[in-house]
Amino acid sequence: MKKLEQLPWYRRENFVISLFLIPAAFFFVLYIVAPIPISFYYSLFRWDGIGQKIFIGFQNWSELMRDPVFFRALKNNFILVVVSIIVQLPFGIGLALLLNGGRWWTKPLKTIYVLPYLMSSVAIGMLWRYVYEPTFGLVNMFLEAIGKYHWIQDWLGDPKIVLYSVINAINWQFIPFYMILFMAAMTAIPEELYEAAKIDGASPWKSFWTITIPLLMPTITNAATLSLVGSLKYFDLIHVLSGGGPSHASELLATYMYKRSFHHFRMGYGSTIAVALFTIGVVVSSIFMRSARRKEYEGSAL
Amino acid sequence: MKKATLYLLVISLLLGSSLSVYAQQVNLTLWHIHTNEGAAQYTIQDAIRRFEADYPNVKIEEVQIINDEYKTKLMIAMGANDEPDIFMSWGGGPLETYINAGKVWDMTDALNNEGIYDNFLPVALDLGVVNGRVYGVPIVNMASALVWYRTDIFERFGLEVPTTYSELLDVMEVFNKNNITPFALANANKWTGSMYFMYLVDRVAGPEEFYNAMMRVNGGSFASEGFIKAGEYLQDLVRKGAFPRGFQSMDEDLAQSRNLLYTERAAMYLMGSWAYGTIKAENDSMLEHLDFFVFPGIDGGKGDPSNLVGTPGDNYFSIAQKSAHKEYAAKFLGYLSDDTAAQMLIDNGHIPPFGSNIGERISDPMMQKIYGAVSGSDTVQLWYDQSLPPELAQVHLDTTQALFGLEMTPEEAAKTMEEAAKRYHNEK
Repeated sequence: MKKLEQLPWYRRENFVISLFLIPAAFFFVLYIVAPIPISFYYSLFRWDGIGQKIFIGFQNWSELMRDPVFFRALKNNFILVVVSIIVQLPFGIGLALLLNGGRWWTKPLKTIYVLPYLMSSVAIGMLWRYVYEPTFGLVNMFLEAIGKYHWIQDWLGDPKIVLYSVINAINWQFIPFYMILFMAAMTAIPEELYEAAKIDGASPWKSFWTITIPLLMPTITNAATLSLVGSLKYFDLIHVLSGGGPSHASELLATYMYKRSFHHFRMGYGSTIAVALFTIGVVVSSIFMRSARRKEYEGSAL
Repeated sequence: MKKATLYLLVISLLLGSSLSVYAQQVNLTLWHIHTNEGAAQYTIQDAIRRFEADYPNVKIEEVQIINDEYKTKLMIAMGANDEPDIFMSWGGGPLETYINAGKVWDMTDALNNEGIYDNFLPVALDLGVVNGRVYGVPIVNMASALVWYRTDIFERFGLEVPTTYSELLDVMEVFNKNNITPFALANANKWTGSMYFMYLVDRVAGPEEFYNAMMRVNGGSFASEGFIKAGEYLQDLVRKGAFPRGFQSMDEDLAQSRNLLYTERAAMYLMGSWAYGTIKAENDSMLEHLDFFVFPGIDGGKGDPSNLVGTPGDNYFSIAQKSAHKEYAAKFLGYLSDDTAAQMLIDNGHIPPFGSNIGERISDPMMQKIYGAVSGSDTVQLWYDQSLPPELAQVHLDTTQALFGLEMTPEEAAKTMEEAAKRYHNEK
């Protein structure tokens, strides 16, 4: 009986909630949702951004399908996804393990290791640019000093290695983030489990594999998803460090989209790449999340 | 009664004066790329100071934007109808894009009324003129790409300045044997490497090659023999070790090229004549070892070895169509191109594209030599990336960088460029 009386209240609460959501929803629609169909609309035009738009149908799309740079960028994106997940996550877990204890040296190290994540991408880009400088840079100067002349490389200029040089810097930037994530998850694991394992005679290695990793699994899945989505739309460090070059060797979809739109002033084609990037991102991450969730479910059933 | 009138008087005076001040207060925004101290920055800021002193009701807000980002920023601002009152471009193709979009004010009449039309050298003004109307005026520098070199390194190996291309190759060989990089080049910026390509095209096939291809006349094509051959010459230079390790990722704006010159690791430096002013500001102890020669001619090539690649004005200042105070902006351009401005540019190592008796007013011997080369040349080819519409300019820069990286054959690069040109001009 009482429930029926409360129904108008319930309704009103919903109304209030939606009222408060309006500002956020408005900007979300304006800046996130609306640009997707609008970008698709622009992809049907030849347009330099300030002049007249000329309708050309699906010409941009057929050009995209024949554009080797687009596929190169796509490949680079997937390399970035794979390398990020297999490097950043294990390093994050390793550092978190190392610094999880309360010894006197962990606190200062924690602070130091978090620093890269606190710096802006542009600053990191400039920093690594000087590290990789071919003649006066830190790496090559060091190799010269220890006499390893044949190890000296053109880190950002050689198309065969530039992508990995940049990914190295990206890893450096993001490992601290995953370290924090895993450290937080590790403190949530009850100490009793480890004590019980110790009493049963398990080695630290054994308890790592049978306690820490299984209990970290949800965090690992989340971290992998974050890394996947972040890598697919990654832009800033590449833009500052190599600009996607030389000759598109380190091009990503996002930098390629930016170049076509704002260097070549082909807004139509840039929009085409943007819509393609969005579609690929949605498809890949939803496949990944679905399979990861299934794994998680199976894991908890065990 | 008396009191009331007095109050009324005071109030009306106060209102009146504040209203009139409000009505006259004018704000102008000015965008340019001169983020580093030097001739251009000094001259612009000095002109602003003098102008604001004469017109206290006008305030000019100067915004400096780094070179590589400038075009993008300007284009985005225009797309959002938010362009500054006064802005600069490099004339030619990009300026025409802005004009076609109705963004630029035709200032011909204003220049005549203000009596500043005749300030400018006709040859320099040309790049700011479309269909006989002036949309941009040249301000900064008559600049050409020259081969700067360290005289002390040349002397150390008993070398003469090369006058032909094969002599240049001989000189390069000596440097390479002695672990000195022949040319300091930072090619992440792409326009830096483009200078080599432009000179090679000119020396191989003459200035008509580019003109015909760009204007789509006389059967001109970017896939022609001349462009392919220039690409071959360029890749030959790369294979012969003309450029430093890592030059494809080095940044001209960070002085990575000149650092090699300063530390005696490189001997030559193909760069615009503004390099004289830059080196003067960065490392004036090197000036005593600094000289230049013009890019040598190729045996059997069509281009005259005195032809230059460059720009007769460097920066072209325009007034936005949507500006509410065009007349003040035009008056300001008068301050930017008067005798004081010309003298200031000369004093800081530039050759102003305006003013009278420029040749006589230059006292610095190096600048006289630059002036001699610039005024003694029949043909000054405007930078490709400023002649071409932005979309094609970018393809030219990209393919040239790929040539430098040996990632495209000269034929592929030429074909890519020609296909882009065909697409741009809607040719089949």
